[in-house]
Amino acid sequence: MSDPKKQRRLWYSVGGVMIVAFLAYGATSFKSNLTPYVSFEEAQKSARKVQVAGGLVPDSTTYIEDKELLQFGIVEEDGDTMTVLYEGVKPGNFEEATQIVAIGTYSDGAFHANQLLVKCPSKYQGLEEAPRSYGSET
Amino acid sequence: MNRVGMTLKWFLFVWMAGVIWAAFLWIPSAQGFKGESSRIVFFHVPTAWVATLAFLVSCIASGLYLWRREPKYDFAAAVSAGLGLLYAVLATVTGAVFAKIMWGAYWNWDPRQTSITILLLIYAAYLALRSAVDDPEKRATLAAVYSILAFVTVPFLMFIVPRIYFSLHPDVMTNADPDNSLDSAHLRVLLASLAGFTGLSVWLYSIGTRIEEIRHRRRQEVL
Repeated sequence: MSDPKKQRRLWYSVGGVMIVAFLAYGATSFKSNLTPYVSFEEAQKSARKVQVAGGLVPDSTTYIEDKELLQFGIVEEDGDTMTVLYEGVKPGNFEEATQIVAIGTYSDGAFHANQLLVKCPSKYQGLEEAPRSYGSET
Repeated sequence: MNRVGMTLKWFLFVWMAGVIWAAFLWIPSAQGFKGESSRIVFFHVPTAWVATLAFLVSCIASGLYLWRREPKYDFAAAVSAGLGLLYAVLATVTGAVFAKIMWGAYWNWDPRQTSITILLLIYAAYLALRSAVDDPEKRATLAAVYSILAFVTVPFLMFIVPRIYFSLHPDVMTNADPDNSLDSAHLRVLLASLAGFTGLSVWLYSIGTRIEEIRHRRRQEVL
């Protein structure tokens, strides 16, 4: 008969090792799969529909209103830039965007986006105007 | 005991009613948010917080079960994992609505969305595991081990993953993110809502564990 205390200690250490292994496995195996955003370099090589993310290049936006064609420059964290073309109505406050996600494919020197996700600066701080109107666009 | 419980419930009722009033009517809409969407924060953040807390409680109760082998810890672990899952679903849904309004799409597999999906699957699997084992002691032991392992992923998925990658979601760990700048009115309502949701889930937790105790006693009587 083995000592039950010793056996329990063995199980605890096995459990501990398993937890650490689980963590390490999680950290490494998910590393590339947890984000849908690819680098501009990858987007240019890929023929598939991908998501790219970055900031708006200042003063790069042109919008042809009657054709609903939007063109802008997007800049990645490492400084890479790319031109994005989007057919559709320009999102509100587009020029103020802090983060942009474009979903589409790269071809002929530009990224053709089917969909844009735009994040504008926001603060959980009351609007300056005193009168409040319910349900209206602010 | 009963009177204290009753008073607490009424207090919670009035508190939550106050939070809802403050969130929808008292606080003005915030800068840079489309329409009235900033108000979602008073429900989105507390549900995510309660989910994290519930998963932590489940992990601790599971540890206690493995140590003490008393059924009440198993009930505690099961009920809190279920509550955590419920609140995680609510956080996901409110988040998706928020994303649609503020970014333009309900879902685009942002790292924040991917990590919460994995978390939901992990805890859904916990409940599936529980329902798959008939023997109560075996079920409790297996579930306890699983719950502890599952919780290992929580800090990773809730806090770390969305920080490593580019994410549209504001950083939840620091106040340095300009998106997290709350004025004192917003902060007060958010803290009140966090307290209210925590109280509400404590109540739900006590109902859940009492139901499990009754079920347990019934089974003992039958045997």
